[in-house]
Amino acid sequence: MTATRTEIFSAGIVEAGLGTVTREIPAGEPPPWPPNAELTWIGKDVPRLNGRDKVTGATRYTVDVRLPGMLHARFLRCPLPSAELRKLDTAAATALDGARAVIALARPGDRLRYAGQPVAAVAALSPGVAAEALAAIDAEFRPLPFVVDMDEARAPDAPLVYDEASAPKGNPSGFPAAPGLPVVGNVRGPAVVRRGDPAQGFAAADIVVEGEYRTQVQTHSCLEPHAIVADWRADGLTVYMSTQFTSGVRQELAALFGLPLNRVRVVVDGMGGGFGSKSQLGVYGRTAVELSRLAGLPVRLALDRHEEQIDAGNRPGTFQRMRLGAKRDGTLTALAIESHGTAGVALGAGIGFFAERIYTCPNFETLQHDVFVNAGPGCAMRGPGNTPGAYGLEQAIDTLSERLGLDPLALRDRIDPSKARREERRIGAERIGWSRRHKPGADPGAVKRGMGVAQSLWMSNVQTNVACEVRVLRDGSVEALSSVQDIGTGIGTVMAQVVAEVLGLRPGDITVRIGDTEFPPGGPSYGSRTTASITPPLRTAATRVLAELGREAARMLNAAPEELEAREGRIRVKSDPGRSLAFRDAAALLRTDRISAVESRADDYPGFRRRMPDAAMAHEDLGGVQFAEVAVDTETGAIRVERVVAVHDCGRPINRLLLESQVQGGVLMGVSYALLERRVMDRRTGLMVNADLEHYKLAGVHDTPEIEVVILENLQGNSATDAYGIAEPANIATAPAIANAVYNAIGVRLTSLPMTPDVVLAALGKTGRS
Amino acid sequence: MPNEPEPIRHFRLNGRNCAVPAADHTLLVETLRETLGHVGTKQGCDGGECGACTVLIDGVARLACLTRTGECEGHEIETIEGLAAGGRMSRLQRAFHERLGTQCGYCTPGMIMAAESLLRRDPHPTETAIREALSGNLCRCTGYVKIVEAVLEAAGAG
Amino acid sequence: MNRFAYASPATVTEAAAATGLVAEAMVTFDESAVLKAGGIDLLDLLKLELLTPSVVVNLRAIKGLDAITQDAAGNVAIGAMATLSQVAEHPLVRGSYPALATAIAGAAGPQLRNVATLGGNLLQRPHCWYLRSPAHHCLRKGGGHCFAIHGENQYHAIFDNHACAIVHPSTAATALVALNAEVELHDAEGATRRLPLEDFFVGPDDDIQRENALRPREVLTAIHLRKPASGTRMAHLRQGEKAGFDWPLADVAVVLAIGPDGVCREASVVLGAAAPVPHRARAAEQALQGRHPGEAAAGDAARAALRGATPLSLNAYKLALFETLVRRAILAALA
Repeated sequence: MTATRTEIFSAGIVEAGLGTVTREIPAGEPPPWPPNAELTWIGKDVPRLNGRDKVTGATRYTVDVRLPGMLHARFLRCPLPSAELRKLDTAAATALDGARAVIALARPGDRLRYAGQPVAAVAALSPGVAAEALAAIDAEFRPLPFVVDMDEARAPDAPLVYDEASAPKGNPSGFPAAPGLPVVGNVRGPAVVRRGDPAQGFAAADIVVEGEYRTQVQTHSCLEPHAIVADWRADGLTVYMSTQFTSGVRQELAALFGLPLNRVRVVVDGMGGGFGSKSQLGVYGRTAVELSRLAGLPVRLALDRHEEQIDAGNRPGTFQRMRLGAKRDGTLTALAIESHGTAGVALGAGIGFFAERIYTCPNFETLQHDVFVNAGPGCAMRGPGNTPGAYGLEQAIDTLSERLGLDPLALRDRIDPSKARREERRIGAERIGWSRRHKPGADPGAVKRGMGVAQSLWMSNVQTNVACEVRVLRDGSVEALSSVQDIGTGIGTVMAQVVAEVLGLRPGDITVRIGDTEFPPGGPSYGSRTTASITPPLRTAATRVLAELGREAARMLNAAPEELEAREGRIRVKSDPGRSLAFRDAAALLRTDRISAVESRADDYPGFRRRMPDAAMAHEDLGGVQFAEVAVDTETGAIRVERVVAVHDCGRPINRLLLESQVQGGVLMGVSYALLERRVMDRRTGLMVNADLEHYKLAGVHDTPEIEVVILENLQGNSATDAYGIAEPANIATAPAIANAVYNAIGVRLTSLPMTPDVVLAALGKTGRS
Repeated sequence: MPNEPEPIRHFRLNGRNCAVPAADHTLLVETLRETLGHVGTKQGCDGGECGACTVLIDGVARLACLTRTGECEGHEIETIEGLAAGGRMSRLQRAFHERLGTQCGYCTPGMIMAAESLLRRDPHPTETAIREALSGNLCRCTGYVKIVEAVLEAAGAG
Repeated sequence: MNRFAYASPATVTEAAAATGLVAEAMVTFDESAVLKAGGIDLLDLLKLELLTPSVVVNLRAIKGLDAITQDAAGNVAIGAMATLSQVAEHPLVRGSYPALATAIAGAAGPQLRNVATLGGNLLQRPHCWYLRSPAHHCLRKGGGHCFAIHGENQYHAIFDNHACAIVHPSTAATALVALNAEVELHDAEGATRRLPLEDFFVGPDDDIQRENALRPREVLTAIHLRKPASGTRMAHLRQGEKAGFDWPLADVAVVLAIGPDGVCREASVVLGAAAPVPHRARAAEQALQGRHPGEAAAGDAARAALRGATPLSLNAYKLALFETLVRRAILAALA
């Protein structure tokens, strides 16, 4: 084992009073950071370093990449929800002037399982020729029975999407679904989590609350479509891709095409949104590379909006049946949930681990099922599982609090073990004015206001397969490098802040080079893990480079290296700051043009709760509590979210401006999920009828409530930066907070999403015929 | 398949004369992005709902995905690339940068152009007017809060 | 989008002559020439290849078609090529026809309103998702049935919906029908005719493949509004799912002529997003005429407005919604 040393860390929630924690840490780790108030750049509002490029249109997104000789690719897609491919003749397409490569993605006899499933692809000199080539493909489809509605798919006589042999098998990691579960009809599962004895727990309950909740299918609707430019050459493959995980895509490509890792390069500069849907190579990525390999030229493949909405992933819909048992004082005795969800032809439509982890309950059971339907495959989307899961459970808790005659916050104070959320409830209640909250439906008049609360929980993920490099050049310039990609959250700025803090420079002095697998592997931008994964090794690397620089400076300053500090652009003697060297002059002393340190993510100091290949989970979950204030027009059914107070924790916040923006975005995505978004499948034709942004409705600026964000500083002494993520927690609590507020406004509980005027009017009994 | 040569269209682009071939059915967004390489103007929805392709034509906000290049003959077109005159960010751009009106940034050029057209006709707009001016633009990341703040700040700074 | 030639005639007569059939997006789906006003809906239909014309005839070059003028008697004419922004912001419109200004200001987004014309807005094709889907060969496209009637019909018609359940997409039309506007049509021989906008729209029972009465070689050139009688009050209200830039679930225009004695002389109550054409609620109008309008009359009219509605499987909510909007629009007009 490596040598260790003992350090005392500030620990606790700064806003609630700090304590300390003593940790045994590896000897090479930097010393503990004090709370943010004592730091220069960490925790401060630093504007996005690449912001200038974004506001001037200079940022290059994958859809903007143009390579010499680049071909344009398009898919031929299955027009039917279920079909047998009878014939696929690509000869005419191949022969077309200007077509450079044509590949079949299915063979005659193959079963096609959703409308939009890729069948063939072409690459041609222009998009127009590619379209002509598609039209020249002679494909015949024999329609087969199909089912697109989850409830219909559960019926015993429903057309089968798969047979047992062909059904997806699940994943050893259990994500998005566990392997080895039975398939009966279109239903796979249940995946069971059980502790204690639920039956006994319900028997011991003074009160039992039951409820059924339904959530819709949501599409990611990234503004930049899924896109790739693949450039296959004799000496290697370069791929420009709008991806959340450059190094993951590189691994997939190397394995798939039998290439050594060092012959595959994945690059992304600007990335126009992902939200989980751009985490893998995908069929489109694989196809573009294959076309480039065949044509010997670069190939661009970018989905159009229709393709984006039908075949670029979606958040699965769910149906949840919930039972909750409690003692009169609120103590939970039992919690049982049975869920059915659909990710179309894919797996992963569960309700996550939200209910399993958030409240203290000795007797617990979830039975989660996947239901196959003939629709495009779902995939992870911002808080996968937990977002629909929280919508159900947080409403059930609200119902329980009312039945118990307890304030929803008081009930949570009793059953929620999280210290962070306790503090978040306190702060949020104050900000929103919780004491103004009235009894359900008590507002007179047609427009009724109400207030609600809901909580968030997400795991503190860490990618352990992460490294980064810090370089100091002899002219004093500094670089931070990693393959990590900026999905829009501003990780590059966060990196510059960390390096600047260590080197005593300004964030703008640091050149951050990311989004390229030529640099050390940076890990994915998903699962709220990026900051947690990359900032600790970055700080360690910067500390090491500084030490090397310090050795040169120490000689010059006649001091011991450990007497020095880097502050305000200078290397100076701590006890005598007048004795100092400009950082640049210290760099000039280097014996070589460039020094550098590469560091990888060390384990969290107290270890991890769970380890997976390449990743791990920290001990303490991420919290978050959101309060919503709504106005419901009981005569039109229109809900207006007027205000949201979002109080969150993410360990040590590095950049409050970026965090606020991300939380505001998460909240608005939650508002949009709660009130507007819904994939509409026509049950008779099996086609999505709103595969556009006209009838698939995304919240606009007029739908935006006032959003107040509070970020706690929750220090745990866990790593060199103690920082964790925020993306998913910001989204998870919003819809249930709004739903609870709507209940408080009108006194009637809405149990399905989205809460559109028709749903509200129906709940109020106002849809009877006149 | 011999194609007829495409007619040359003449217009002003960001203050410069521009002559560019474009067929009758060619859209301005294609001309800007594909022919001229001005890729700051984005395409998001293909249908006029997202506003990412907002440009100014004779100072008025319009969608390049619903404008044929041929219609631009003789007109003045401004794109995001034209706002930072001489490399200096405009006040709107500065405000979007400093107030973090961007996240992934894909909607940003369209958002800024829509706001620019508002500020030109109404230099000191109310928040309501700002929201209305931005109501044709979608953002999936920021929650719009900081976008509205940025426009308010730019208006105040004007 | 298919390749098409492009013509920019200088006069309306030339434009009319250039078309085999007619007007923006107002032709059956495979016609060879179409007229283009703002071009918003046209481009949408071209992109979807629901229209594949060989010639697009641009009306932009024709001078004067976007004028908004008032005659000596105080009547207002709005050129068909006036953009929605121009109309919504025009003092004549805001002053005399505020319900029209409101209806238009809430349509689409600002960039579209800067281009879309009032004529084009009235002539745009419905936004029924089955009609707009190349994969659904519906009745209106020459197919066998209406997919909405037994399908996803939450946004569809609650009146006159037994054959085809589209709703007319124009909120401007709702207001204009309530204002008893007339359209001016110009043909290739240079002749013009005028007819009430209400009669201009064609329901599915009259012709399943078109939504208006524009004839071959005819161009819509202007919309005429009579000077409102003194004591005229009006309002337009809409409710969408989104708070901005969304098709309305329901919209209502009310125009009331109130006499000096406070009695309602004439009433127009028109529902948009309710039927294949703007739906005049005659029973509601009758419930108001001859009465001192107020809460009670508004409530009676609102209930009457929905009489005879035949909601589909997913749109019965529109009854309550329209009832509210009609009542509120009447009260808003009086306020």
